[in-house]
Amino acid sequence: MTMHDLAVVGGGVHGATAALFAARGGMDVALFDRGPLCREASGVNAGTLTMQMTRVALMPYALRAHAMWASARDWLGHDVGVVVCDGLSLAFTPAEEELLTYRAGKRREAGAPIVLVSGSEARRIEPGLSPAVRLAGHCRVDGYANAYLTGLAYRRALLEAGVALRESTPVRGVTPTGAGFELDTASGTVRARRILLAGGVWIEPMLAWLGVHLPIKTLVNQLVVSERVAPVMRTVVGIANGLLSLKQYPHGTVVIGGGWQGVGDRERGGVELLPDRVVGNVRLACHAIPALRAARMARAWAGLEAETADALPVAGPVPGVEGAFVCGSVHSGYTSGPYIARLLAERILGREPDLPLFPVDRLLSRPRAA
Amino acid sequence: MRITVDGVEWQVEPGEVLSAALLARGRRALRASPRRGAPRGAFCMMGVCQECAITVDGRIRRACVTVVRDGMVVSLEGAGSDKVRMAGAHGA
Amino acid sequence: MSGPLCHRVDLAVLGAGPAGGAAALAASRAGLRVALIDENPEAGGQVWRKPVRPAARSAKADPGEALRADLRAGGLTLLYGRTVWSVGASLDLDLIDGESGRWERVSAGRLVAAGGAHERVVPFPGWTLPGVVGLAGATILLKSHGVAPGRRVLVAGCGPLLFAVAAGLAGTGIDVVGVADLAARGDWLRAMPSLLTRPGLLGQGARWMASLRAAGIPVFFRHALRRAEGATGIERAVIGPVDAEGAPAPGPEHAFAVDALCVGNGLVPGAEVTRLLRAPHRFDRLRGGLVPVTDEAGRTGIPGLYAVGDGAGLRGAAMAALGGEFAGLAAAADAGRLASDAFAREAARLRRAMARERPFSDGMAGMMRLRPAQVRAIPPETVVCRCEDVTRAEIDAAVEAGARDVNQMKQFTRCGMGPCQGRMCGDVAAELVAARVGPREAVGSFTARPPLRPIGFDELMGDFDYADIPIPEPAPL
Repeated sequence: MTMHDLAVVGGGVHGATAALFAARGGMDVALFDRGPLCREASGVNAGTLTMQMTRVALMPYALRAHAMWASARDWLGHDVGVVVCDGLSLAFTPAEEELLTYRAGKRREAGAPIVLVSGSEARRIEPGLSPAVRLAGHCRVDGYANAYLTGLAYRRALLEAGVALRESTPVRGVTPTGAGFELDTASGTVRARRILLAGGVWIEPMLAWLGVHLPIKTLVNQLVVSERVAPVMRTVVGIANGLLSLKQYPHGTVVIGGGWQGVGDRERGGVELLPDRVVGNVRLACHAIPALRAARMARAWAGLEAETADALPVAGPVPGVEGAFVCGSVHSGYTSGPYIARLLAERILGREPDLPLFPVDRLLSRPRAA
Repeated sequence: MRITVDGVEWQVEPGEVLSAALLARGRRALRASPRRGAPRGAFCMMGVCQECAITVDGRIRRACVTVVRDGMVVSLEGAGSDKVRMAGAHGA
Repeated sequence: MSGPLCHRVDLAVLGAGPAGGAAALAASRAGLRVALIDENPEAGGQVWRKPVRPAARSAKADPGEALRADLRAGGLTLLYGRTVWSVGASLDLDLIDGESGRWERVSAGRLVAAGGAHERVVPFPGWTLPGVVGLAGATILLKSHGVAPGRRVLVAGCGPLLFAVAAGLAGTGIDVVGVADLAARGDWLRAMPSLLTRPGLLGQGARWMASLRAAGIPVFFRHALRRAEGATGIERAVIGPVDAEGAPAPGPEHAFAVDALCVGNGLVPGAEVTRLLRAPHRFDRLRGGLVPVTDEAGRTGIPGLYAVGDGAGLRGAAMAALGGEFAGLAAAADAGRLASDAFAREAARLRRAMARERPFSDGMAGMMRLRPAQVRAIPPETVVCRCEDVTRAEIDAAVEAGARDVNQMKQFTRCGMGPCQGRMCGDVAAELVAARVGPREAVGSFTARPPLRPIGFDELMGDFDYADIPIPEPAPL
């Protein structure tokens, strides 16, 4: 039986990016997913690549990841429909002005090139904006990808890099053997020297295979997309508190997100959208871009997002299990994911990452009972 | 009653459904498909296929489930306007 | 402003055709408070649709008029002209009143899904041209609006609607240049024993055929469309022979100069509600494709959710009305409002009636079934997904690129991502993926999502004040 250098469990942006760079670094890599690549959070998120919703602690990573997305054709080799454009975070009320000023200031300190602009200046940048805007955070490092193209792009890149791609192959368990790991998969036992668990919200049950208990909260983000309409906007638009993300794709559809919560869980996925929250999110979007009112909602869905207790990523070795690594639960993970996963690939390849990883230890409340 | 179609006033009967009214007066092509700009007309007549989605009083509406109203303003350049036509499937 | 107007009832029935209408009446007569919801301004569904112009119909005994009168007579909450956009796990429905623009919510805890069926057309080059309309669409134009789709018309496809539409057009003086039937004359003869169980309908079919003969309209059995041509609308249609499985066969083509083409290859169950709620489904080619698994009374795998009529599998109007009544009574029994012995008596009666209808129903469903070989013969450059202009070649390329189910193919191509949400292309697209990947069950179906129909953002949000938007707590900084 072949012994892979690295087995990656989970084919989202994190797992796929780490697998790609590990393979390019010379490793024999196998990647497993229970379904097709990037069909959960990495394929159904809003695709926003913004700094104005990024957590302050992640800013250095997000800025580098943004540069990666912008040059995806170069390093990934395939198109994910990335558009780099201006981003605006809006304040409609004095309270929101205050919130925006504070939050934009913190993010600017962390390196995001956000400047505060007046309502009229914001409307010059985005002519589609409502006159009700009082103040806006303006950031030139913004944009979006076409999330549903992520799987196709990574699939091609991974195959070209020689990764053994095992889609629709659930992994039922992982056992450390001393010299590596045995994976119990739907197509038999697979052996690998190292293992990377990159299962998004499923990181919690995956780590349980190794006896590690890391609670992961599951967010259920509602999203709405319009049919194709003539241009109504040209920037990425959000609001001060972060609960709106709005942009129009070159093919005309407008995606409305912002993390309004639907109903669902790890076991069943996003099972239900709450109509009051769909309406709330749409009202907010149309309040920001009034011309959107004339369009129709074509589809709404709910995608899962993973969150740790401190809402910061896990990316690093699994404590106490030699050769095991974990990567995921990155807030706004689609934006920052490629860079953080690439850092972890560097670590797996035995190199020193350019920026610190996100150790798991901090989140383990107490040592597990033997 | 009267409606306006692309700036021209039409006499219509109360109760007429817009898609049938357009077809009965010889308007087969209602819009262009967004990706290729190909001509399209009403197809399923029961509100499912969305081929007759046109601009009615400034909003996108399905002509086959829209009953005419006096003063209604219809533009046949609505949804699927070739203004959003694009080269690639994903617009990338 | 702001929130929805709530209707609290015991049973919500979505779809006011033969199935939903019968379900609503039966449940109401058994004592349930019932809300009946439909997108159209009146009950009747597609098959019993109320004519816009009274002259467009003969004054014969009309089951649609009878249904409408019964529904108006008895204490139901009739919510017509409503667009339903959300169905929650609690079976709550959110709807918009098209007339007033009001947001309404129906809370019942029990729901009968009676969404009916819609057109299936196996794509051919030129089928997206204006002037090409579905057979069911042509029926609506003719019977409800009194409008013909054109002046020189070819009628093509399969099933009884072919002859109904051709005879209906000819009867209004339209020049019907021909009928192309996917079936052979012998297929109809073989179906005869089942058709004989419904002599009235068989007689109607015979009258259609006689009127076509009298008008000198040629019928091309075992023929299908090869292509339609035209600049801004159809100008020419070409048919050619097919084999028993629907694949092109050798033999001469026939071309017709036309300004309209009516075409249909059967119907597809509109099972959006049961799919959205993730009730168990199965693939059943005879019943039109993906259908919810139900018991005889329409109970699905989800407590309180019933599925009836053509949306639960194609059986035709007579079976739909019986199935609807069964589900309406079952809902009353399940709610404890109909005694079990009374329900058992009614069930026995309905079972006998359904057994009488079944041979005809199965015979017709068989004539309208999808022929996979016809799908496999779709030329590469033919548009399959009308909304997104996705061709058969692009679907094949997605499978080549690794797509193993329809939702992955959708992400690779945008097939099914347009405003119809795959309702027109879903069945054929799945058949194309299945032809290369494996059985239909394995390639799945487009994931159903809200809204049930596209809905204007203006309609959805109504009037509101910014201060009233329940904006959640800020995300962590």
